[in-house]
Amino acid sequence: MKEVIIQGLRQAYSNLVHMFAEFLPRLLVMLVIVLVGLVVAYLLKTILRAVLHVTRLDRLSEEAGASRFLRMAALPSMTELLSRSLFWVTWCGFILIGISVLGVAGLQEQISRLFLLLPAIFVAILILFVGLVTANFLSRAALLAAVNAGYPSPKLLSWSIRFVIWALAVSMALEQVGVARQTVIAAFSIVFGAFMFGLAIAFGLGGKDLAREFLERNLGEKKREKYEEPQPL
Amino acid sequence: MAEESFLADDFIRQLMSVGEVDLLVGIPSYNNASTIAQTLHSVEESLRQNFVRERAVILNVDGGSGDETRQVFEQSSERREAGHKGLTSLRTIHRISCMYDRSPSQGVALRSIVAAADLLRARACAVISPATTNLTPAWIANLLRPVYREGLDFVAPLYVRSRFQGLLARDLLYPMSRAVFGQRIRELYSDEWGFSGRLASQCLEQDVWREEAVRTRPEAWMAVLAGSAGLKCGQYFLGPKTVSPSATGPDIVDAIRQTVGSFFWCMESNQPYWMGRSNSPAISTFGPEHELSADGIPPSQEKMFDLFRSGVNELEPILASILTPDTHAQIKAIALSDRAKFRFAAELWVKTLYEFAASYHHAVLNRDHLVQALVPLYRGRVYSFLLENANSSPETMEAQSEILCQEFERQKPYLLERWTGKN
Amino acid sequence: MLSQDENLWYKDAVIYQLHVRTFCDSNADGIGDFRGLTSKLDYLQELGINAIWLLPFYPSPLRDDGYDIADYTSVHPSYGTLQDFKDFLAAAHNRRIRVITEMVVNHTSDQHPWFQESRSSRENPKRDWYVWSDTDNRYQGVRIIFVDTEMSNWAWDPISKSYYWHRFFNHQPDLNYDNPAVREAMWEVMKFWLDIGVDGFRLDAVPYLIERDGTSCENLPETHEIIRDFRKRIDLAYPGKMLLAEANQWPADVRAYFGNGDEFHMAFHFPLMPRMFMAVKLEDRKPIIEILEQTPQIPENCQWCIFLRNHDELTLEMVTDIERDYMYDEYAVDKAMRINLGIRRRLAPMLENDRRRVELLTGLLLSMPGTPIIYYGDEIGMGDNIYLGDRNGVRTPMQWNGGWNAGFSTADPERLYSPLISNPVYGYQAINVDSQRRSAHSLLSWTKSVIQTRNAFRVFSRGSIEFLNPSNHRVLAYVRRLGEEKVLIVNNLSSSAQAVELNLQMYKRHIPIEMFGRNLFPRIGDLPYLLTLGPYQFYWFRLRRI
Repeated sequence: MKEVIIQGLRQAYSNLVHMFAEFLPRLLVMLVIVLVGLVVAYLLKTILRAVLHVTRLDRLSEEAGASRFLRMAALPSMTELLSRSLFWVTWCGFILIGISVLGVAGLQEQISRLFLLLPAIFVAILILFVGLVTANFLSRAALLAAVNAGYPSPKLLSWSIRFVIWALAVSMALEQVGVARQTVIAAFSIVFGAFMFGLAIAFGLGGKDLAREFLERNLGEKKREKYEEPQPL
Repeated sequence: MAEESFLADDFIRQLMSVGEVDLLVGIPSYNNASTIAQTLHSVEESLRQNFVRERAVILNVDGGSGDETRQVFEQSSERREAGHKGLTSLRTIHRISCMYDRSPSQGVALRSIVAAADLLRARACAVISPATTNLTPAWIANLLRPVYREGLDFVAPLYVRSRFQGLLARDLLYPMSRAVFGQRIRELYSDEWGFSGRLASQCLEQDVWREEAVRTRPEAWMAVLAGSAGLKCGQYFLGPKTVSPSATGPDIVDAIRQTVGSFFWCMESNQPYWMGRSNSPAISTFGPEHELSADGIPPSQEKMFDLFRSGVNELEPILASILTPDTHAQIKAIALSDRAKFRFAAELWVKTLYEFAASYHHAVLNRDHLVQALVPLYRGRVYSFLLENANSSPETMEAQSEILCQEFERQKPYLLERWTGKN
Repeated sequence: MLSQDENLWYKDAVIYQLHVRTFCDSNADGIGDFRGLTSKLDYLQELGINAIWLLPFYPSPLRDDGYDIADYTSVHPSYGTLQDFKDFLAAAHNRRIRVITEMVVNHTSDQHPWFQESRSSRENPKRDWYVWSDTDNRYQGVRIIFVDTEMSNWAWDPISKSYYWHRFFNHQPDLNYDNPAVREAMWEVMKFWLDIGVDGFRLDAVPYLIERDGTSCENLPETHEIIRDFRKRIDLAYPGKMLLAEANQWPADVRAYFGNGDEFHMAFHFPLMPRMFMAVKLEDRKPIIEILEQTPQIPENCQWCIFLRNHDELTLEMVTDIERDYMYDEYAVDKAMRINLGIRRRLAPMLENDRRRVELLTGLLLSMPGTPIIYYGDEIGMGDNIYLGDRNGVRTPMQWNGGWNAGFSTADPERLYSPLISNPVYGYQAINVDSQRRSAHSLLSWTKSVIQTRNAFRVFSRGSIEFLNPSNHRVLAYVRRLGEEKVLIVNNLSSSAQAVELNLQMYKRHIPIEMFGRNLFPRIGDLPYLLTLGPYQFYWFRLRRI
């Protein structure tokens, strides 16, 4: 009995030692992979940064207006952003490869699923971000234009624009990740439809006056006094 | 990566034919077929009368007009004055033209003009607008002569103004540029100006031609560049100016976006230059320093005040991010005051502008939006100005303008503080 | 009897202008004479010229370089005898060189017997041969030509106690052409020389023959009437003889002197000359094109006479004020170089002795439409002496060699009618015929070859001209054309290298052959013809279609 136990313990011990002896090199391999990954990622980042610098991506993004968004979102320049992303993506990839080398059962599958979902999540985040920035920008632009032109209720206009863009961005992001596709699309359609309907009614009601005014101005006598500001320049 | 040249082969060919010149007159155009012939004749007349011996070229840079502006320019015959036996000037007055296909832009046109000036080694250049209908030969000579004969590098025009005209320039651009850049140029933003070949070459070397500020309003940038390079600026009194009715100027919003936007951009891109300057020496002025005519009735501008008030209300969050709480509070306070007793004091106005400039520098929000947010405040200031000066004489207004300038200069340390401070 | 074509000899001529006094002295008196000139005819023949225009050689008090004639039908004793002249004429004709003499028809010297008689008393039959007046206020407003020396066109005669009319110096009274006797007398003078064998006359100061109240007294219809009369007589009795008008006027005004081919055969084109100089200085072809555009067509049997420099100042009367100021500033900074309304300088010094510009301008002169005149000495690039009075600075002795008196005379140097040019740059030791003859690359040799080229092609003397208008304004290009003979001339007026694209579509498939080296150039195709030219360079191409 005792021997059996000892046998078992020895067996277990030797198994453990065996397992450990088997696992240790893998761990080492993983560490090496992670380290190599770090170096490779760093190299890639440096190379990409240099390449982007040469191709003057920052100027291009400045011209496209993308840099302004980044500035407002307190993000670094486009070059920096891309090269850092590359660094993390590369390194993460290496880490995941390293983990898979460990050969832990179940983990493999999870990792491969994560790999599959990763781009979708990334895109969704991007969409939300762009949506946020765009909504902010356009609503402010509308607000300023409306205020400076003296249109009534500029805030309403500005908020409507912001809301529509938000709704669009959120539904696009959810659709991208694949969460309850049908529901999201239906929900967005309803919200958007309702909003448009509201707008149509609003414009219809408000436009009645506008249309009359327009007709009066163009067909009737031109008695409407013109608002003229002193010549600025 | 070799950059594509912005000069067309045909244009280079034309430049080759012209060869070295002494004077270059650039006429940027866009749908000016009805007036460009007249402009051209004035320029030719001016060259014939004032620069008999100089080699000269007239350059039309067209922004893709749909109305044959370019053809009119090229084909309009040289008008011969009834000279002796039909003989005209000593030399051929060259006439060349080129086109750019992007949307019409003063900056793009100017780039071709300074490139031509550089390649032809012109000593003095002028830019003339075909929309100015009362252009006389004397104007062109007056813009060219100080450069050609007196060695100036930038010559701004001076116009006769009625009392209530050009308020943006008088109430904002001139005093602010005088305080910030130390340049007493009255008309920093104009359609006609003169510059030297030296300045043209320096401009051409700058890598700023894609900047919005340079694309829309390159003249102020040029003046600031001249100042920062230690070149001499001056201004020449030209007289009253009228503009062809077909070419109405920009409305107030666009005017502010273009000029103030470009002004702030100039501040941004020339920091080392202006931050160290504390004085504004007088510049060479030919003719009277500044002339306001007594005519002009103050426009009754009830609506301006409404726009100011609603702007302060509606834009509250935006203004809050631009202005300091103290300044913002003062503005909100005057917005609540009685229409008739409304005053937008010079001190507050200067402070507001300096805070706007600093916020522009720190890019607290989109810079174009930031400049647009200034429009209601400017309207408030103009309304206040009109109330105060409804019956003032030109002399009083001149004196007030001088006081405003001094206020700008007095508060410059505040600008520096806001500018260098971290939000 | 000469053939019809031979009668047009003046159209094909290259004229050499000289003064007997300045050319060669055979009798060691310090003054050039006809025998000396005759001895130098070989040189002129070698040069390639085929006509000589002699400045006045008549007896004269020489107060206006011989233009104040005291006897029309004789030779000034300093220059030899009438027989010497006849010998010279024969020798010239032997070498197929024609001779044109001066006929000063407008006025005489106050030493002329006609004037002596006319002023002797108011009743003298010759009284009416000159223009007399009791007051000096007739013909008010008529311009004074020698503004530097004369105050009025009227001069007081103390003998007959009245005023006489003079357009030039006060010692040159104007003849009265309203008097038929004067015309007859002048015709007799012409007949005298034509009978001897002179080939043509240069009629001096033609526009001023007749005076009328209320006019500028220039270019009057009556003046033209007189010219037509002379011409008719010459055509009848002396066919093949030529009349050349000196009328310093705008081309449109000079045009009238050609009439319908029944007045002058030739006339000077005065305004062109300063504009050639101007164009080179401005580096712009505009002045030349402009003046030639202003130049009217002339009858078939007529010809313009063109020149760069002559015995007078480079006249700036036929330019605008702006142009005159420019010419003064560019070509006569020193006030001593200016006289009246002009510049008293020779070709080479005016062009700062720049061989390239001398050649360019000579090339222009010889390729432009018209009969060219070469002023003596300019073919070797002689200098001037602006410190000699009046226009004597451009009338110094011809420089034949580097020896005694430049080979002009064996007299003592002090005895010469004028000091030689002796500075190190233009002096006779440096610039003279003998040394230039020895070098194939001298200005003289170059001039010879270019004259030879011109003489070989009639298109130069008789062809039409058509300007090309390349966009490069520093290049003056034109095509001369006579039937199938076509010559393309391209001149770079600027001091820097130039590229030019010529539109030669009219001459597609032609082969340009450079005329001095006879080399072929690329055939003219569909594209604009591209040429590059060095500073002041010019090409003469014969366009051949083979």
